[in-house]
Amino acid sequence: MTNEIKPINMPKWGMEMSEGDINAWYFAVGDQVNAGDDLVDIETSKIINTVTASDSGVLRAIIGATGETHLVGALLGVIASAETSDADIQAFIDSNTSAAAEPEAVAEVADPVATTIETAPAPVPISQPASSLNNLAEGEDDSLVAASPVARRLAAEYGVNLNNIVGTGRHDRVSKRDLEAAVLAAGGRLIGNASTITATGAAQFGDDSNVKATPVARRIATQLGINLLECRVSGDRGRVCKADVEAVAALKNKMPAQTDGGTSVSNNTVESQPISGMRKTIAARLQASKQTAPHFRVHIDAEIDALLDVRKQINNSTSDAKVSVNDFIVKACAKALIKVPAINVQFDGEQLSYFSNADISIAVAIDDGLITPIVTDANHKGLVEISNTTRDLATRAKLGRLKPEEFQGGSFCISNLGMYGIKQFDAIINPPQGAILAVGAGEQRPVVKDGQLAVATVMSLTLSSDHRIIDGAVAAQFMSVLKAYLEQPATMLG
Amino acid sequence: MTTQHFDLMVVGGGPGGYVAAIRAAQLGFKTALVEKEQLGGVCLNWGCIPTKSLLRGADIAHTLKEAEHFGFTFDNLSFDLKKLVQHSRSVARKLTHGVAHLMQKNGITVIDGSASLADKCLLNVEHEGNVTQYKATHIILATGARARNLPSIEIDGDSVWGAREAMTPTVLPRKLLVIGGGAIGVEFASLYNDLGTDVTLVEAEQRITPAEDADISAMAEKAFVQRGIKVLTNSIVQSLDTSGADTVALISGPKGEQQLEFDQVILAVGITGNIENLGLESLKVETEKGFLQADGFGKTNLAGLYAIGDVAGPPWLAHKASHEAIICVEKIAGVDGVKPLNKAQVPGCTYCRPQIASVGLTEAQAKAAGHSIRVGRFNLNANGKALAINEAEGLVKTIFDETSGELLGAHMIGPEVTEQIQGFGIAQQLEATEHELAQSIFAHPTVSESMHESVLDSLGIALHK
Repeated sequence: MTNEIKPINMPKWGMEMSEGDINAWYFAVGDQVNAGDDLVDIETSKIINTVTASDSGVLRAIIGATGETHLVGALLGVIASAETSDADIQAFIDSNTSAAAEPEAVAEVADPVATTIETAPAPVPISQPASSLNNLAEGEDDSLVAASPVARRLAAEYGVNLNNIVGTGRHDRVSKRDLEAAVLAAGGRLIGNASTITATGAAQFGDDSNVKATPVARRIATQLGINLLECRVSGDRGRVCKADVEAVAALKNKMPAQTDGGTSVSNNTVESQPISGMRKTIAARLQASKQTAPHFRVHIDAEIDALLDVRKQINNSTSDAKVSVNDFIVKACAKALIKVPAINVQFDGEQLSYFSNADISIAVAIDDGLITPIVTDANHKGLVEISNTTRDLATRAKLGRLKPEEFQGGSFCISNLGMYGIKQFDAIINPPQGAILAVGAGEQRPVVKDGQLAVATVMSLTLSSDHRIIDGAVAAQFMSVLKAYLEQPATMLG
Repeated sequence: MTTQHFDLMVVGGGPGGYVAAIRAAQLGFKTALVEKEQLGGVCLNWGCIPTKSLLRGADIAHTLKEAEHFGFTFDNLSFDLKKLVQHSRSVARKLTHGVAHLMQKNGITVIDGSASLADKCLLNVEHEGNVTQYKATHIILATGARARNLPSIEIDGDSVWGAREAMTPTVLPRKLLVIGGGAIGVEFASLYNDLGTDVTLVEAEQRITPAEDADISAMAEKAFVQRGIKVLTNSIVQSLDTSGADTVALISGPKGEQQLEFDQVILAVGITGNIENLGLESLKVETEKGFLQADGFGKTNLAGLYAIGDVAGPPWLAHKASHEAIICVEKIAGVDGVKPLNKAQVPGCTYCRPQIASVGLTEAQAKAAGHSIRVGRFNLNANGKALAINEAEGLVKTIFDETSGELLGAHMIGPEVTEQIQGFGIAQQLEATEHELAQSIFAHPTVSESMHESVLDSLGIALHK
């Protein structure tokens, strides 16, 4: 470990992240921290993620206290050696807090493409045990070299190409002993003991799902945030066993992650608490949308009696789907978006992107906000597939089990409040999309047909469009195409 | 009143249904469970648990009988059947309350009544004449199964008992006919024999416990016969005449027909799924031979409808139902790494004396599946602990694939083998070969050392054989 003072900064996970809430620190000031340890949980839009230490040392200061919100890049804490003086630490904090990136405007950040893409602080590369190993590193792809799992993992850690090692193990496999002998012969140091170990962040080891491990070992590793690739392999048949994981845990002095659900209650009858990361995201995005995108709305009524008939026919004849009115709207929108591609767009303020397929975001209300999972390629999906995809997405949205790619993106959005009996409403565009459709309840209304008063099931649809890129006539054209599909549902099935 | 909406509703509160509800609630589903009788289902109320409570009484009877061997003699030993049944019922009650507590703790809405599908994702629940409708995005049917009748012989609750009546007797039968030599039949035969009843067990197949490995069946039959149970295999009860004081059974077998008299009959010839009155027909939900058709994750052909446990087909075991429950719910929730049920890894346990436990393929099944196999056998009469407790009747049989070393099947008969089979189940799940098992250290003196010896025998290196 060096005597350098190392900052812990607010990371940037993804283009849209501008700030994060400090959810919980795993360490207190004064605690010994090893590189790779989980340091602090940060809550952003929709996810809570953990910042791991890129350096070992003593956690000397926490600047970002639990519950606070800090901008990307802001100094959250300081790691340094125990010997570093308090004055040096303070000087480091002072210089870094003043030099912290000036806040990007929230509105700007909500517009992801306009924001300069920043990457998270680059992970500190795994330090090579010895530069003299370089001559062992050369060689062709060694994935077919017979080697024990231990040897292969160690080789990856040392950066050694297995083609350079003579195997003396069973069936001439390269064994751990062969590898270590070669490393020592090349002047390298062995890793694996506490004094020389280069502890690295779990994330830096990569995907460990293919590592052979006993179920117990895998579970403990998950709980402790230990990557199985970090562990020695001493179990039967090259499997990481419990003792291997515990050895790493002991080295890191880890405790299982704790969650902290602190809310503050004033002594008045008002209960106030910081809004969740998701709520903040919703707030920031929608405010930015309203401020930057000049919304204009076009409204149309569609008669859906024929659609309801077709729906009934489909549902009566098909067991494997329960097609909803909303599924028809998704399908009709998908068809209409392909016919009127000027609506199937994203706009970042400078660049207008047209999409070849309709990736339709569907607003789903969840406990603490809303989320917009995407039915991708909806123009290529049949009603049954749209219906079952939506059911799965909505189920997992409510459980908080969507993957980021399942709710980030989309070329168009549908918000349907019909099930609440809402007749008609306006929706705010989900940036960087160009338009959003607000769907009301289908209800029986009097209509005039050929001079006669009649009753029809009518649904009110309102399209909010970004006038910077979508003109009134285009929006109107989209709505009339959409209406035609909805009123003659057979045409959307073609 | 607006229809109440749940993310997930479970129909049936047995070990499939209530486990599904708990797992769903854990994952964040707004969950409800509909039960028409008692939480816990057949398993807790009328199956696994109450029978094991009774069989404990049988064990004690057996222990008392052989106490003399250990130097104990009794005068005026008496037995009150009522108390044994009371014990059994109180255990069932306790566990049912436990399940109710678990529902409450997990925030699960428990709805009393009989559920039927009104439409996709729509349940009608009828309770005391009132019908309430509920919407649910996902509906899991875990309605279980019930004893099957024969065309000519039906459970009447009087002369012919089903399992329910057989576990709540008020008087001990003198002469009992048990029809069906499967797990349920042999358990009742064993129970009543230990309690002092003269038992005749009739099985249509050529051996009792026909689902078990043939060596195990043979040993079970031998033990039963030694205990004085009359075992008639390859035999069929043609008719029962219940008009007289005693029931006259006409039994045909290899030696022709015979008429035998009994004061009690238990019918245990298999089960049939509870698929009636669920609204399945109008929604064209696929069923086959009385059971719901579902894929490896419990999904039926109807959107949003799932089936788990006994109603979804064999093996009809509580632990299979619970396992399916977890798989089904986790699959719906999109949990990573959910694997479909591997029926070859569902252990089966029969609590007769000696107990029978098995997991995986029988020797015949393994051969039929084309495996070249290595078989290990170890008899408990060479096991020190089994001899010490005077229960040295038993066998551990292990079957490995010769090429891969995979444990294809393990079959055990003997004392407390139902507690030991998990060892083989875990080995199978972890894909242990005969070598890992051979290298494992088994404590001495234990009955389970025989598991080790059986594995060693498969390698030709059994130490005490």
